[in-house]
Amino acid sequence: MVAGVGVDLENLWIRFGDFVAVRDANVNIKGGDFFSFLGPSGCGKTTILRAVSGFLEPSEGNVLIGGKNMKGVGPNKRPTALIFQNLALFPLMKVWENIAFSMEIKGASAAERRKRADELLEMIALEGQGDKLPSELSGGQRQRVAIARALCAEPHVLLLDEPLSALDLKLRQHMRTELREIQQRVGITFIYITHDQGEALTMSDNIAVMRAGVIDQIGEGKTIYNDPATPFAASFVGENNVFRGKVKRVSGDRVLVQSNRSGELLARISTANLGRLKEGDNAMIFIRPEAFELAKTGTEGDHYVSARVINEEFEGNVFNIFMEGDGGKEIKVSLPNLGQSFDSHKGQTMTLKYDVKNAVAMPAGVLATE
Amino acid sequence: MNLSFLRLSIWLYLAIFFAYLLGPLVIMSVTAFNSPSFPSATPWECLTFEWFSALFQDTRILNGIKNSLLIGAGTVVLSVTMGLAGALMLTQIWPKLRATYYTVIIAPILIPGVVLGISTLVFWDRINRMLGFGPDSLLSSGLFLTIVGQSTFIASYCMLVLVARLQRYDIALTEAALDLGATHAQAFRKVLLPFMRPAIASAAVLAFLASFENYNTTTFTFGEYPTLTIELAQKVRYGISPAISALAFIIVVLTVFAALANEATIRRRELVAAARRNATVAELSGGRVTLPGFLSGNTAAVLLVVVSIATIVVVGTATVYSPDQCIADVREQKRLEAEKRAEELRRKRDEERKLKAEQAPVTTAPSGSTGSSSFGGVFDPNALQGVPSEPEEEGGADSGFGGAFDPNTLQGSGN
Amino acid sequence: MPRILKDFLSRNGTGPGLVMLGLVLFWTVGLIILPQLSMLDFSFRPNLPPPEMGGPKDVYTLENYKYLIYGPEGGSQAYNTVDLMVFFRTLVAAACVTVFNLIICYPIAYYLGQTKGNHIRVFALMLIIPYWINEILRAFALRIIFGETGVLNTIFTGIGLFDTPFDFIRNDYALYAGLGYAYILLMIFPIYNVIESLDHNQIEAARDLGAPWWRIHWRVVIPYAKPGISSGCTMVFMLSAGALAAPQILGGPSSLWFTQLIYQQFNDSSDWPQGAAYAVVLLVTCVLLVLAVMRLFKVNMGDIGK
Repeated sequence: MVAGVGVDLENLWIRFGDFVAVRDANVNIKGGDFFSFLGPSGCGKTTILRAVSGFLEPSEGNVLIGGKNMKGVGPNKRPTALIFQNLALFPLMKVWENIAFSMEIKGASAAERRKRADELLEMIALEGQGDKLPSELSGGQRQRVAIARALCAEPHVLLLDEPLSALDLKLRQHMRTELREIQQRVGITFIYITHDQGEALTMSDNIAVMRAGVIDQIGEGKTIYNDPATPFAASFVGENNVFRGKVKRVSGDRVLVQSNRSGELLARISTANLGRLKEGDNAMIFIRPEAFELAKTGTEGDHYVSARVINEEFEGNVFNIFMEGDGGKEIKVSLPNLGQSFDSHKGQTMTLKYDVKNAVAMPAGVLATE
Repeated sequence: MNLSFLRLSIWLYLAIFFAYLLGPLVIMSVTAFNSPSFPSATPWECLTFEWFSALFQDTRILNGIKNSLLIGAGTVVLSVTMGLAGALMLTQIWPKLRATYYTVIIAPILIPGVVLGISTLVFWDRINRMLGFGPDSLLSSGLFLTIVGQSTFIASYCMLVLVARLQRYDIALTEAALDLGATHAQAFRKVLLPFMRPAIASAAVLAFLASFENYNTTTFTFGEYPTLTIELAQKVRYGISPAISALAFIIVVLTVFAALANEATIRRRELVAAARRNATVAELSGGRVTLPGFLSGNTAAVLLVVVSIATIVVVGTATVYSPDQCIADVREQKRLEAEKRAEELRRKRDEERKLKAEQAPVTTAPSGSTGSSSFGGVFDPNALQGVPSEPEEEGGADSGFGGAFDPNTLQGSGN
Repeated sequence: MPRILKDFLSRNGTGPGLVMLGLVLFWTVGLIILPQLSMLDFSFRPNLPPPEMGGPKDVYTLENYKYLIYGPEGGSQAYNTVDLMVFFRTLVAAACVTVFNLIICYPIAYYLGQTKGNHIRVFALMLIIPYWINEILRAFALRIIFGETGVLNTIFTGIGLFDTPFDFIRNDYALYAGLGYAYILLMIFPIYNVIESLDHNQIEAARDLGAPWWRIHWRVVIPYAKPGISSGCTMVFMLSAGALAAPQILGGPSSLWFTQLIYQQFNDSSDWPQGAAYAVVLLVTCVLLVLAVMRLFKVNMGDIGK
């Protein structure tokens, strides 16, 4: 078995003419990690992947794989294998020839190649399908063939460029588990590119959130979800309600914000922004829909939100309540369905409680949807 | 009413159009089997295969075919590789240069062939002199000049064919190959080239046909390598023979053959693909897919078989069939006709003579009529009796001398 | 530039990249650009025997171009009427052939492009097959038909339409029919390609709105097919004007085509510079005419060859 090696990006800049695709990226990926770059399309995550795999020379900075600088090393000489977004299976080769392509390059005999391809086919649960053409397989099967083909090259780092985006929802969810299992079985480093936060959260050990060429935050999925570093990370990863306002008072990691529409709100300053909020600053507070609780009027204290209910819906596992928020945006509240009775509050003003540790404050900035 | 009239006129138009398009070829093919030495479909005289044997004994034609094949092979190789390189370059050239580049590589299609021939000749002649080579160096050989001259524009055709396929190529496939450790050359050979193979095959066929039939450029460059087209043009310009029709017929048959074979393979592939699609996984992996028979649902294949059988039958007939009897019959018939006319003529002349003799018994010469001296030999019954044994026939006596045999003319001249 | 070259080589690999670059340069520069420039240069030089080339007499001169306009020095006429007439006749005749071809091919291209069914493949095959057959042989076939004792004359005199055989060749009918015949495919295919992509619903819609058939074509189909039409016309015009085989085989003995003059200068009078000058005149005139027409109909170069 091949051990995964670390990948480091040092002060990486990538420019296309005047356009800066990646701005000063610094990332250390541990060997054997499942690491995701998460961001909307056009944020530069694929560019980073192409720089790691060697299809792009960085304009500045270095890519290190296993501690070795990869400057001037072509894609065919790097210990990486890339799974393309459209998989890029060779359409005229049979499945087994596709899988064993990297051995064909090295001049392995047909028998050797066939043997190795059959092993890998077994690993991806496609025994006996080796003589088909890629076009004769289903989407999920093609997906697994692409992985087998990449693994056959025995890379130290596997790069995956949104490989699940072409699949339907059910299959996508199934493949997440499968990918994670494969990664744990082979033990090499996976670098995964996605715009789907669900994929990133479920599979990754660590995630880098990217926006417009800049890496906003790197950390475990839980950290990014619970303790986002930027408004972008907060709003891009998972659903979030944003409250804008001005800082009234700061004490320790607590901040009191005079919100534009929802009165004074007490919140916790996110770890990355400690010491960066002062009185009078524009701030944003993020509270997730599931962090609210219905409260009886008068018992709220200072960590509550009250607003008029515009719409309600029942989603099975949760009740969603939409209330008037600021900036024309609705506040979404999700209450778990525990079998309780639920009366309609449409048109009424409701008061919702939250736990201060679930209300994250940070300096105002760009949101994902803007 | 109106609609059916419209439909009728469309079909009529199509019929006229295709008659214009295919009629000449059909008529030309027919003349290859008719015995008169001027290629003609009417009047039909005798079915003959002699023009085919005449064709195969013509060393200039055979030499021309050899040169054409040689030049065709060179042109195919050069123009397909240049066309492929040109097409690949087009996909990745600097955007600002793209339009200019495209204009340059497409221009040879529009430049008149004679201009290409002249410029090739002039340029390489100059290069040859600059390098100080003699007039018999490679650079001034007809082989080299013709290949280079033809490839200049044939490569543009190839480029167009190849670019159409290349546009459907996913560059990620090359990247995938590189990523899996292939060198650029390996990625090209193992991934791009197999993908391009159908287009390369079409381009090669196109290039060969274009080279084979090229005249305008080749006529300036062929030097000591006259191609078939050049030889044909020389022949056609200075007199035409049904042997050329025979050659044309062979080419027509080969073309139809190739076209049908191509159609049949395409159809076959479609049918096989459909069968594979409908097959279950178990059938596929067990290799037990029941494929349709070669001929079922494949009109082109059926036609192909029919044409093949027809060809075999015709060639078989040709080896045993002898038109001598028919030709002799026709000749005999012509002789009889001519004799009959001569007889008639003589009778008339005799009558005239009698008439004249009655009027002026002494003055007229016995052979009589003015202006007939040149025909005298022909009309002489003794000469006529000698003719049938000779192969030459005085070239279609009926049409050429038709006017002379007209009794009225004769009567006029007699007076 | 070196940066572009470096990128190019790293994208294609050094070896394959250099091979590709070499081939493209050989084609564009060595086969297309330099020979044309060389011909242009040659056309400005006097006709000298090889030993004197590059010698003191090898100077630039307009002599060869003057010859086209004024004829031989000290000639009896003020202008070279013979050659000039041939030149204009070639252009006018080529234009007529182009228009004739467009008129007969447009309905076919439209029909093939807008009709579905298996018979369309058969028609396409029937269209292509004549073009797999040698240009000379196609002209030869027409000569059999149009010859004095050819099929047409036999039929016409047979049914009593003509009293005596009509000389199609001397009157150039054979030539025009031959040129039209030679380039039908090049007119049909570009138009067909464009019309095939025209959504039939557009025509249905126009018909639905009560437009008569000629208006549908004038307002919907022809504007849509313009790139194809211009591409076809350009190719047919250039090829007719530059044709050599058809005029040599089907042309009357007294009426020459301009390419035949060029041919004579190269092969009969061995005056290469003169021939080159005539070739340059032919090329430049054709290109200018085509560009002017393309400008007039607002189509661009990128549409050619589609």
